[in-house]
Amino acid sequence: MNYIVGTPLYIMSAVTLLAILTGAFHLKGAARRLPEWIGIGGIVATLAVVTGLWGDSQYGFAGEIHMSRLGILFTWIILVSALAVIALSWGEPAGAGRRPEYIGLILAAATGMMLTVTAGDLIVLFIGIELLSVSLYILCAIEVVRERSLESGLKYLITGAIGTALLIYGFALLYGMTGTTSIEAIGTTLAHAGPLTSQPLLIGSMALIAAALGFKASAVPFHMWTPDVYEGAPTPVTAFMSTGTKTAALGAFLIVFTGAAQGMVSDWRVLIGAIATASMVVGNIGALMQNSVKRMLAWSSIAQAGYLLIGVAVGTQYGARAVAYYLIAYVTMTLAAFAIVILREREVENGDQLVSFTGYGRRRPWAGVVMTLAMLSLAGFPPLAGFIGKFMLFQAAIDGDMLWIAIVGALASVVSVVYYLRVSIVMWSPAPAGEFDGGRRLRIPAPVAAVAVIGGVGIVLLAVLAQPVIDLCQGAAQSLIP
Amino acid sequence: MPWTSLLVIVPFVAAIALAFVPRGNRAAGRTIGIAGALLTLVVSIVIVAMFNRGQGSMQLVDHVNWVQSIGLSWDLGVDGISIWLVLMTTVLFSLGMFAAAQRLPQRGNMFLSLLLLSEVGLLGLFTAGDLVLFYVFWEFMLIPFAFLIWTWGGDERRRAGITFVVYTMVGSLIMLVAIISTAMIARDHIGHLSFLISDLHGVPFSSTASTLLFAGFVLAFAIKLPLWPFHGWLPMAYSQAPIVVTALMAALMSKAGVYGLLRVGVPLFPEGANNLLIPIAILALIGIVYGSLLAWRAPTMRLLVGYSSLAHLGFIVLGIMVFDRMAAQGAVLQMINHGVVVAAAFTIVMIIGRGGGTEDMDKLGGLAKGAPRLAVAFLIVAMASLALPGANSFVGEFFILGGVFNQYTWMAVIAMLGVIYAAVYMLRMYQSTMNGPVKGVSDEGRACEMRRGDALILVPLILIMFFIALWPKALVGATQASTDRAIAPAQVAADRPAAQIVPSGVITGSRP
Repeated sequence: MNYIVGTPLYIMSAVTLLAILTGAFHLKGAARRLPEWIGIGGIVATLAVVTGLWGDSQYGFAGEIHMSRLGILFTWIILVSALAVIALSWGEPAGAGRRPEYIGLILAAATGMMLTVTAGDLIVLFIGIELLSVSLYILCAIEVVRERSLESGLKYLITGAIGTALLIYGFALLYGMTGTTSIEAIGTTLAHAGPLTSQPLLIGSMALIAAALGFKASAVPFHMWTPDVYEGAPTPVTAFMSTGTKTAALGAFLIVFTGAAQGMVSDWRVLIGAIATASMVVGNIGALMQNSVKRMLAWSSIAQAGYLLIGVAVGTQYGARAVAYYLIAYVTMTLAAFAIVILREREVENGDQLVSFTGYGRRRPWAGVVMTLAMLSLAGFPPLAGFIGKFMLFQAAIDGDMLWIAIVGALASVVSVVYYLRVSIVMWSPAPAGEFDGGRRLRIPAPVAAVAVIGGVGIVLLAVLAQPVIDLCQGAAQSLIP
Repeated sequence: MPWTSLLVIVPFVAAIALAFVPRGNRAAGRTIGIAGALLTLVVSIVIVAMFNRGQGSMQLVDHVNWVQSIGLSWDLGVDGISIWLVLMTTVLFSLGMFAAAQRLPQRGNMFLSLLLLSEVGLLGLFTAGDLVLFYVFWEFMLIPFAFLIWTWGGDERRRAGITFVVYTMVGSLIMLVAIISTAMIARDHIGHLSFLISDLHGVPFSSTASTLLFAGFVLAFAIKLPLWPFHGWLPMAYSQAPIVVTALMAALMSKAGVYGLLRVGVPLFPEGANNLLIPIAILALIGIVYGSLLAWRAPTMRLLVGYSSLAHLGFIVLGIMVFDRMAAQGAVLQMINHGVVVAAAFTIVMIIGRGGGTEDMDKLGGLAKGAPRLAVAFLIVAMASLALPGANSFVGEFFILGGVFNQYTWMAVIAMLGVIYAAVYMLRMYQSTMNGPVKGVSDEGRACEMRRGDALILVPLILIMFFIALWPKALVGATQASTDRAIAPAQVAADRPAAQIVPSGVITGSRP
C-alpha cells in the first residue's frame, strides 16, 4: 500500500479545511487576507510535491489513486488555474463577507478536480466529480444578494444533478458488465470484450458516461446550462469553471475512453465525434449573437470543448497529446481573457457587456494587447498557442483517419473568427465621447493585472517554445496509452 | 548573417518599437517607420546581391527546428521566383511608408506599425520554405491588413473588414487541413513527418489525393488572388481601405495567391494541377473578361483599378496553369509588372482624390490643364497598364499569350479580349479625368498637381517600369531556373512533348 502518492491530495484537503476554519475567528487588518494566503501556500506546496512525483505511474492505496504523468500534468493545469482564480478574486466584492468559505470552496473544487484526473477507480472518479460540482454549485450562488448569482447556482445544481445521475448509472452498468470498479482492470476486461455492438449494456454505459462527462465539459447537447450559469456566477468563479472543470472533465474523458476503453475505440469514436461536431457547430454559432463578453466566452467554451473532444474522439496517443497541449493553451488564453473582463467589471457597471469595452484598448493599451492576443489565440491565429493546439488536434484527427472532423473544425473556426475579432475591434475603436470618463478610476488590483500579463506572455511563449511543453504532453499521453 | 531571417525580423522589431512610441510623438513614429522600411529594403538588396542566378532551388536558407515533434521548423530562403517579389515588397513598402508618413492619419504610429507588420507577413510568406510557416505568415498578414481597414477605413469599414477576413479564413483553414494531410500522406514516403517544401517535392501522391490536396490549396489561393468567383470581398475591401493599404493589397497581397500556386500548388501536386487545369483556366478567363467589363463600368477610379487587377491576375494565373515555359516565365514577370503598375495607378488615384476631393470619375474632368505633370505620369502608367508595345507589361503579356497560344489556342483568343478591354477602360479613366472641360475642381485643378512628395513615390515606380521594359532579361535571367523547376513536374503530368520539358539538371538545381 503506497500512501505517499496521496500527499498532494492530503495537503489540498488540509488547506481547504484550514481556509474554512479561519472563518471562526474575527480577522482584522492584514490578517483578513489569511484564507487567500493559506490557499496560495497550499497550492504552491502541492505543486512542488506533485512535481516531485513526476515519473512512471504509481498507484496509491489499493490502486484507487493513479498518479500517472497524465494525472500530474492535469493536476498542474488545475492548480495553476486555481491559483489564478484566487488572484482574480483579490479584493473581489463578491462574497466579501465570506472570504474563508469562498477560498475554501475554490480549494475544495480544485481538490475534487485533482481527484478526478488522478483516479484509479470509478468510485474515486465519481467522488472527485461530485466534490468539484458541489463546491461549484455553492460558489456560483455565493453572492446571495444578487438574483442572477442565485439563479446561476440553482440552474447549475439542477442540471449538474442530472449529470451526476447519468454518471453513476453509467458506472453501475460498466461495473455490471466487467465486475470491477478499478479502471485498470476494466481496461483489461474491455480489451477482450469483443465488438461493442453485440453488448447493448456496454453501449448504454458508454453513452451515459459520455453524456455525464459532456455535462461537465459543457459539450453539446449537454450545454444548455452553460451560458446562464457562466453569466450569473461571479466572474472569477466562471473563469474557474471554464478552465478547471473543463480540464477535469477532459481528463476523465481521456481516462475512461482513450485509456480504459481503448480496445473499443472504433465503437465509441463516432459517439464522441458526434458530440465534438455538435459542440463546435452549436457553440460557435451561439457565440455569434452575444452582447455580453462573459456569455460569449461561455458559448466559446462550448465550442472549445468541441475542439478538445476531437482529440478524445480519435482515441490515439497523438490525440491525447493534442488534448493535453490544447488544454494548457486554452486555460492560458481563457484566464487572460477573463482577467481583462474582471478588470473592466471592477471599473463600470455591466462591465461584461461588449459595449463597455469600446475604446478600452486605447485607454489601457496593455490590457488591449492582452485581450487581442487572447482572442486571436482562441480563434487559432498563428503563431500563438491556440494555433499550435488546433494544429495538433487537426494533425491527430488526420492521423487517426478522421479527416472529416478536421474539416468541420476548420470551418467552425472560420465562424469563431467573427466573434473573437469583434471583441478586439471594439477594444481598439474610438470610445464614445464622455461616456468613458464615467468609469470609476479604480486602482488596478495588481494580482488581476498579473494574471492578465502572465497569460498574455504565456500565449506567445507556449507557441514559440512549444517543444518542451509538447514533450511533457507526450509523456502524459504515453502514460495513458503505452 | 542570417540575411533571409533579417528580412522578417527587421520590420517586426521596427513595428514593435513603433508601438511603444508615445502617441503625441509623430515625428519619432515617422522616423522609425521609414527607417524600418528602408532598412528592410537594404537587407533585401543585400540578398539580391548575394543571389546565385543559375540555381533553381532555394538559396540563403535559414533553418532552425521549431517544434520538432510535430514537424514544424523555421525555414526561410529565396529562389528565382521569390527574389523579385521580396525586392518589390520592400520597395513598395518603403514608398508606401513615405506616402503614409506624408499624410499620417490619427494614431499614425499605430498605422505605420501595422503597415510594417503586414510587410513582415508578406516577406515571410515569400521566403517560407516550410508549409506550416507558409501558413503562419499567410495568416499573419491578414490581421494587420484587417485592422488597417477596421480602424482607418471608410464608412463601411466594419463590414468590409469582416467580409475580407471571413472570405480569407474559409480558404486558409481548408488549406491548413490540406497542409497537414499532405505531410501525413507524405510521411510514409519520406519516412518522417516533414512540412519542408523541399522534402515534399516529388512525393508521388495518388491521382485522387493529388487532386483533392491541390483543390484544398487552390481555394485559399483563389480567394486571396482573387480569382473569379471568389472576389466577393474585393470591392468592399478595396474601396473602404485607406488608399495606401489598397495599393499594397492590390500590388502585393494578391501576389501571395499567385506565389502559392507557383511555389506550392503546381510543383507539389502536378497531377492534381493537371486534372484541374481546364476548370481553373476557365475561371481565369472569366475573370479576365468579367474584370475588364466591371472595370469599364466602374464608377470610381479606385474600383476601376481594383477590377482591372482582377483581369490582370486572371492573365497571370492562366500563364501558370497552362504549364508552358514561356507562359510561366511571362507570369512571373507579369507579377512584378502588375505590382509596380497597380501601385503607381493607385498613387495617381490618391493624388487626384486628395486634390479633387473625390474619386468619382463623373465628377472630375480636365485636370490636365492645371496638373500637366500628373497627366504625363498618368499617361505613362496607363500605357504601361494596357501593355502598349514597349511598355513593361507588354513583355509579360506577350510571353503569357505566346505560351498559352502554344498550348491552347482558344484560351489565347479569349484572353486577347482582356488586352483590348484594358485599352478601353484605362483610356476611359484617363480621358474622363484629364481631358475635356474642367469639372469638379476650382482653379483648373491645380490642387491635383503632383507635389514633390508625390514625385518621390511616382518617379521611382516609373523608372522601374522603364527599366523592366528596356531590360526584361535582368529579371527573367534570374527567375528562369526556378520557374522551370516549378512547372516541370506538371509538364510531365500533362504529357507535354519532351522538347518542351525542362532538362532534368535544372530540376535538381545543379548547373547543367
